[in-house]
Parts: sequence; C-alpha cells; structure tokens
Amino acid sequence: MSSFGDALAAGEFVITVELDPPAGPDLAPLIDLASELNGQVDAFVISDNRLASARLSPVLAGQRLSQEAGAEVIVTLTCRDRNRLALTSEMLAAAAAGLDNLLLVSGDFVNLGDQPGAKPVYDLDSVQALVLAGGLNGAARFLLGSGLAPEASPQPPQVMKFNKKLRAGAGFFMTKPLSGLAGLEAFVEAAGPLEAKLIAGVEVTDEAGPEAAATLAKEVKASGLAGGAHLSWPGAPQRLPELLALLQA
Amino acid sequence: MIVAQRKPFAEIAQSVSGFNRVLVAGCGTCVAVCLIGGEKEAGILASQLDMGAQIKGDECTFAVACVERQCDREFLDELAPQVAEHEAVLSLACGAGISFLAERFSDTPVLAGVNTSFIGINDDVGVWGERCRSCRDCLLSLTGGICPQALCPKGMLNGPCGGASEGKCEADPLKDCAWALIWERLENTGRLSNLEPIVAARDHADNLPGAQVHPAYERRYSAHE
Ligand code: SF4
Ligand code: SF4
Repeated sequence: MSSFGDALAAGEFVITVELDPPAGPDLAPLIDLASELNGQVDAFVISDNRLASARLSPVLAGQRLSQEAGAEVIVTLTCRDRNRLALTSEMLAAAAAGLDNLLLVSGDFVNLGDQPGAKPVYDLDSVQALVLAGGLNGAARFLLGSGLAPEASPQPPQVMKFNKKLRAGAGFFMTKPLSGLAGLEAFVEAAGPLEAKLIAGVEVTDEAGPEAAATLAKEVKASGLAGGAHLSWPGAPQRLPELLALLQA
Repeated sequence: MIVAQRKPFAEIAQSVSGFNRVLVAGCGTCVAVCLIGGEKEAGILASQLDMGAQIKGDECTFAVACVERQCDREFLDELAPQVAEHEAVLSLACGAGISFLAERFSDTPVLAGVNTSFIGINDDVGVWGERCRSCRDCLLSLTGGICPQALCPKGMLNGPCGGASEGKCEADPLKDCAWALIWERLENTGRLSNLEPIVAARDHADNLPGAQVHPAYERRYSAHE
C-alpha cells in the first residue's frame, strides 16, 4: 500500500496539499515546491485541468514529482475530459509510473474554464469511474478516492451518491473547500458511521488569507469530523510553505 | 417535438447569395409550433430577404412554400413542381427535414435556415424546454420522469455532482439541478429506493446512424434485401 494509504489506515490526521501542474511544459518550479514541502505533508494531490483550464498531464507531473522530489502523490483524473478508453489509459499509466493513489472525480463543467467551447465528455460519472478503476488489470495496487461536497445542497442526494462511491470502492474522500465546520458536521451526521476517510478541503482565499485557513484546519482536526486536511492556495501556491508553518505554530 | 432557432439573418443572406430564384420552404409541424419555420415564418423571411435584395440592387426573387412535414416523403413530393422552378431551396424545417428534402431533390442546392436545437416541450406561451437527448435506452422509469441526460449538463447517472448549490446547477445557476428535481420527485412519490443500485456506464455500442423498421413491416422490407 502507498505511504498515504498507510497513514490513513493508521488513523493519523493526514495533511495533503493541492498542486496544479503548469500550463506550460516546465515542471521545475513545481518540483522545487514539492521538494520544499516534502516531509511536512502526507501526499500531494495533482489536479487535473482544475476549473476546466488546460494544464500539463497530472500523471506525468505526478511521476516527475515522485521521482525527482520523492513525493507521495495522488493523481486526480476527471471524467470531463476523457471517455472510458482514455481513463483506462491514464489509470494504467499511473500504475506503470508507480503512482498508486487515484482521485476520481466528475470534474468542473467546461464552461467554467479557459476553453468553454470544448466538448464535455462525461462518458462515465465518478461512481462509474471508480467501478472502472476497481476492475482494471493490476487494480489491486490502487487506493481509490473521490470527491465530496458537504456544503452542496440539497444534501440528501449527495449522501446517496457518497454511499454509492463507497460501494464502488472509494477508500478516501477529498471534500471541496469548506467555508466552516457546519456543512461537514451536517454531512457526517447524515451519512452515519463512516467507513472511509474524509479529508477536509481548506483553501486560502484572497479575502480570508492563510491565517483563517490554518485556523479552520486546526478546527477540523480538533473536531474529529475528518481524517485529514487538504490544503490549497490557488492564488499563490508558492506561498503554501507559509500555510504549513502556520499549521505547525 | 423538435425545437429550432432561426439562423441569424446575415448568415442566411450569405448562404442564398449567388442564387437568383430561391424557394423558402417551411414545415408545418414542429418548427411551425415553435414559431420558427412554419408557413408564416417562411413568408416573413422571404419578405426580409426580398427587401435585403432590393436594397442591394440584387435581382433575386424569393417564393414561399410550406408542406405538412418535410421529414415525410409523401409530403415532400408536393414540393416537386416548385423546386423545379427554383435554383435553390432554403428550408426552415429541422435538420431531419432539411436533409430529407436535400435527399429527395438531390440536384438542387438545399440550404439550412434554422439551427435545430433539441427535443422538447412547450412549457408556456413562447417558452420551450429540452427534455430528451434520444439516447436509445430510456431511464425515465428510474428517475421519476426527469431525464438526467437532457437536464444535467454532465449527464450524471448516479446522483448530483458536487457543484449543485441550493438546488441550482453548477453550469448554469439559473437552472435547477436535475438531480435535485429527481430526488424531490422520487421522495414525494416514495420511490427513493430507485436510486440505490449503481447505474452502469451507458452502452454506446449501437451509436451508429439510426434506422428502424416497424416490426409489422419487417417482412415487406426484408424482401428487398
Ligand atoms: S433517458 Fe433521457 S435522453 Fe434517454 S430516451 Fe429517456 S428522456 Fe431521452
Ligand atoms: S449541478 Fe446538478 S444538473 Fe448541474 S451538472 Fe451538477 S448534477 Fe448536473
């Protein structure tokens, strides 16, 4: 199992960090950032054309981060950009690159991104993508995760889908960035005893700044509602070390 | 019914330029009901084109015809005498009608005057809404009669995406999230258990040009093979 999987299984409060691959071919800054943060985080989640804006392949970025920064990586794959054949290819590529953690999500709709005229694929949804990954040749090595939106409303259909994802093999869930604890608390109460780990999304926004994010991450940990915090700073990822320092303070 | 929108006038004017005698052909069924391509709309478009031609000093003339359904061979035949007198036909039928007209009169250039938009319903006066994507494997029994392929931009089959907010859709916050509607309908009718099984990935293996023969006519058409 992956070291991230081990940490989850051991019941540790995990810290993950979201990294966007570049919109160009130069991976050096991302590798430098991961090297700087390595040791302070349990895994790096490599996003996949986040917010429907085209970037370098998450599998390739993950492989380079793993090899050159020694990073533990979770590769995100969206259903928005690939049909079942292309998803299979990328899953196998991840496995061949030694990347065993997959985060399978539907993906933000194309009209939010930089190529709003692109054809939205969605041949599979995230539940079906989990089923696909679970049935792949060599799938035993994968630790599968998916997304969770505790603050989405109405909540009951979100809980229903969460349960389907569990049945489809999801072992961990990354939530969307939270605005506070209330939504997570309500979700956990509605979903009942959880068989999988929730990792609470904590995002630094321009308005609230890193202090608010660090406070929320600490509150998440103290609440026991989630098994970890997933940190992101989309506006200034190079400042993520500051956020981690605040967390340790 | 099929719902269409008229193409922008400039695009239509461009497509007919170069033809001196154009027949504007309306269709009396779906596009007439959605007030885009019936006899009346064909007449209005022909007058607009006439005026445009006069302003530019062009010699073109635009005549009007309308048949009950351009997607039916029998009705298309009625157009034959008029088509024969024109250099081109500008059809205001849906894509199926336009292409069938072009097939029936294959020696005559046939031009599209509308953009065929969706299979939908008449919601209110002047309002139409999409309801079906003709997927060939209908799920409506499961989903409370609300189509997750026509009404969810992502075509989610196992529940809502994480972008649904207060029942509205991530891709278009002015529209309801299809899955919020499905949930509500099934909850109100005590059928939420419909949603428990994981819905498998759709089978697109038959996603080839559609054609079908009614079972009652199979013998007749197989005799031709
Ligand atoms: S499931 Fe939707 S798209 Fe498919 S046939 Fe039924 S209404 Fe049409
Ligand atoms: S918000 Fe609802 S309707 Fe919109 S894409 Fe997501 S699931 Fe589909």
